[in-house]
Amino acid sequence: MSDASQYVFILQYLFTILIMSMFVNLGIALYGVLARPSLIKKIIALTILSDTANTFAIIVGYRMWPSPESPVLPPVLTNLTASKLRIFKFAASAVDPLPQALVLTAIVIGLAVTLFLVFLTLQAYRLYGTTDVRKIAKLRG
Amino acid sequence: MRGRERIAIAISIVIFVLLLSLVLTAGGLGYILPPPKIRDIPLIYLIRSYWPFSKYFTVMSPEVVTSIVWDFRGLDTLFETVVFYLAIIASIAVMRGIFSSKKEVDLAKLGMSPIVKTVTKITIGMILAVAASIALHGHLTPGGGFQGGATAAVVSLVMLVVFSKYYLETHGVSKNSMLVIRSLGLLGVGLTAFIVVIIGLLNGVNAYVFQNQPKIVADVGMPVTIGGALISGTLWFFNLFEMFAVAAGFTIIFLLLAIPEKEVLEQLKKEVAGE
Repeated sequence: MSDASQYVFILQYLFTILIMSMFVNLGIALYGVLARPSLIKKIIALTILSDTANTFAIIVGYRMWPSPESPVLPPVLTNLTASKLRIFKFAASAVDPLPQALVLTAIVIGLAVTLFLVFLTLQAYRLYGTTDVRKIAKLRG
Repeated sequence: MRGRERIAIAISIVIFVLLLSLVLTAGGLGYILPPPKIRDIPLIYLIRSYWPFSKYFTVMSPEVVTSIVWDFRGLDTLFETVVFYLAIIASIAVMRGIFSSKKEVDLAKLGMSPIVKTVTKITIGMILAVAASIALHGHLTPGGGFQGGATAAVVSLVMLVVFSKYYLETHGVSKNSMLVIRSLGLLGVGLTAFIVVIIGLLNGVNAYVFQNQPKIVADVGMPVTIGGALISGTLWFFNLFEMFAVAAGFTIIFLLLAIPEKEVLEQLKKEVAGE
């Protein structure tokens, strides 16, 4: 095994560790959403879940571009003087922009849903004096 | 659960991750995910986003993420804006009938010390300038309407903390005025989505909803530059209106959360009692 291939293997190993720990993070967040009784903790776990999913989508955009030789550039063309060669070179070295655009949408929607959930929890706490779902479930009327 | 058990669980999760990653990196799964051909999709976006050589297949924006958000996949973003709008309307509906009291208060006595107030007055202008720069350059550099609006909403949050809620409301930043700005912003987003259709109707040409630059079967479009400055057709207007809508929406949320808990509880008790 030469030096270069060892280097690539270590890079890929670190990359895989990152992805696997995200899966574990998803599992922990799901545990928080499903098992914790407090509504506030459920909301926190939900934000962790959505943030992990978003980071995962971004990572997928970088996935086919971990070559050590060519640096990854942001998907912004910085030189506007028209040249086909320059645009092709930019396209060959820029990161996948589609997951970033989708994550932007997902962040906004996640934020909106979180805001609404926070207001619901606040109102439930004001009316019933608790955020414990086991107590809220027993309320009648 | 005792402390020792928790540590054991944490260590076993870490070992599981490290070993599974080693297996996957060494080729234990047998194939590569995602497939290498997936790179062909972003290549289309990256090349076509700014391609001045053919006017039919481009957005004319050097920022590829913004051109995907507001042009290639514009309908997604329109409905995302609608979801955000509805979530804030729903939050207001949860807080319906709850008003902060309009008792006479001495505004100079509320809030923090005069030093903090003076410094805040200076920094507010800077924050607004940064927000406008992020939003209005959204088609040139990373950023856009949502990011700019979220930055502008920081101003109302800082002012709530430093000057108090009553100061904001006596200076015109109330729930209803922000609701008006928010609705106007969303109306602007909707109008910008339809503006090329309107231009097409006036000229008697085919046009699509959410069209930006001319297409082959719909040969009308928005101007790419105004006075030599690149605005990328509809993208600049979308970013502008989205900034107003998002900033006003966040301000509403902050104002609602800033109503004193005591007053809310009093009014809720009356409501529950049926008065």
